[in-house]
Amino acid sequence: MIQKILIANRGEIALRIVRACRELGIKTLAVYSEADVQSLHVQLADEAICIGGPKSADSYLRADRIISAAEIADVDAIHPGYGFLSENAKFAEQCESCNIKFIGPKSKSIKMMGDKAVAKDTVKKAGVPIVPGSDGPVENEAEAVKVARKIGYPVIIKAVAGGGGRGMRIAHNDISFAKEYHVARNEAEKAFGNGAVYIERYIEKPRHIEFQILADSHGKVLHLGERDCSVQRRHQKLIEESPSPFLNSDLRKKMGKAAVRAAEAASYENAGTIEFLVDAKGNYYFIEMNTRIQVEHPVTEECTGIDLIKQQILVANGEKLSFDQGDIKFEKHAIECRINAEDPSRNFAPSPGTIGLYYAPGGHGVRVDSHAYSGYVIPSHYDSMIGKLICFGTTRKVALERTYRALSEYIIRGIKTTIPLHKAIMADPVFIEGKATTAYMEDFMSRTPPDLFS
Amino acid sequence: MKRSELSEFAVEEEGFKLKIRRGSQGIPVVSAGRGSNSPFVPVEAAQSSAPAQSAQPVNPGAAAPAKEEEGVIYVKSPMVGTFYRAASPESKAFAEAGTKVVENTVVCIIEAMKIMNEIQAEVKGTVIEALVENGQPVEYGQRLFKVKQG
Repeated sequence: MIQKILIANRGEIALRIVRACRELGIKTLAVYSEADVQSLHVQLADEAICIGGPKSADSYLRADRIISAAEIADVDAIHPGYGFLSENAKFAEQCESCNIKFIGPKSKSIKMMGDKAVAKDTVKKAGVPIVPGSDGPVENEAEAVKVARKIGYPVIIKAVAGGGGRGMRIAHNDISFAKEYHVARNEAEKAFGNGAVYIERYIEKPRHIEFQILADSHGKVLHLGERDCSVQRRHQKLIEESPSPFLNSDLRKKMGKAAVRAAEAASYENAGTIEFLVDAKGNYYFIEMNTRIQVEHPVTEECTGIDLIKQQILVANGEKLSFDQGDIKFEKHAIECRINAEDPSRNFAPSPGTIGLYYAPGGHGVRVDSHAYSGYVIPSHYDSMIGKLICFGTTRKVALERTYRALSEYIIRGIKTTIPLHKAIMADPVFIEGKATTAYMEDFMSRTPPDLFS
Repeated sequence: MKRSELSEFAVEEEGFKLKIRRGSQGIPVVSAGRGSNSPFVPVEAAQSSAPAQSAQPVNPGAAAPAKEEEGVIYVKSPMVGTFYRAASPESKAFAEAGTKVVENTVVCIIEAMKIMNEIQAEVKGTVIEALVENGQPVEYGQRLFKVKQG
């Protein structure tokens, strides 16, 4: 029986986990860096242990100190959140060998799905459509060019150890391919310590539609519907919504079943996400699996009414999922806007500093997941996301108008944020009509006067 | 608090302590203690640049950030683990009040994940006192010894 959980993360997700634990009557231990002493979740947790200096590499990535803290504080389980060590198979293994429950999948599932090429191969065998591409990493340039010609241009060159939208290059012909191939390899080596790349067909203007998976340790694997995350800038998601305005119930059923098959092929347990690209004709292709809880999980929570973090803890506790696929209903339409401390007018330059006045919106159908407060000093050492605004309603129209209304009330003084940008997108006809693909943001920025979003 | 003439107010019950004091800028400073047995209750930072609008729980147990004294320096923990004064229960403590230390003098052991790590002073001077009891857990950056520099 899990009685105390160590939260190996920070910011809004750490706060989210503290809240879920509180409601389950589970004690919380926050591990934090010296830059996060004043963080809200550190103050709200039952216990807190400092594990290092401000840099992530000196604190939140220090598996040894985190496990040491877990041992001296006698915790039963560790929730890794997202990012940091959440998809580090070695860390999950260390927890397993120290008899501390890792709240997530088994380390072998993380390892399998962490290698993008192995992941593709695994799900392909389970009858899940994948993007035509090289069967695994390419050995050299000559082989790579052959594969590119066989698949057909345009192609995308991706790092095997990549993720989060990094380590990817596009080529439209043989000449640009030669150059992009080497650039991609160098970038991958620098960013992930592994220069291996694989090639895929590049699907033009696809929609990014992902399915939420929840599986227990007794063999039940369910999907909780999709999230449309097509509004992205440089592969970083800005807005997510559920249901997708593009899918009909037939395609949803097909893709949902495929997502479950993919998770089963990885012997998956706990929460995870299967990502697909969907073209204009409704052809869908698996691109990767995220073996962790995701930033945008609240969208699914408000759409289905299911508390994903609590379910993660219950599954980790060995309990069976108390519902079946047929019980899951998509009752609300939910939209999430990621509020980042960035200045859209200066090419999204980070804007750390002290928040003067912080006032979050409220009312029917409005949810704010944020660790910010008046007087909070945003550290410069971590990512720029300071909160998420999730609005939901009975229809997409209600959710859109509610999001616009809530953004109008949201006050964060002292720093620049993406609030005005989100407002402008909520008022944009292309987004309102549900026509946004992954090409949307570039198009939107090019035709929208800057003073409308900053 | 604002309307009254009170500058300080304290209440104490079993497992709960509350103290409200008018801060130097006229802003109420609230400290609340929890009846927790754990030594790792959330700590308030020594300096906060913005006025504290909300309650910031202060740990009554851990070393409270004190004013910096002249010529005094601290040996801080470089890791998370359990603090031991000596190499074994039978051995003499590495450092006591009055022990002279240089940068590479071993002052204590911190056990982390079954490994006994010898911790060096990294400062030069005379030990004034140990700030943690033998066998207590310590966190990164926690003050272990108070040392008079020189």
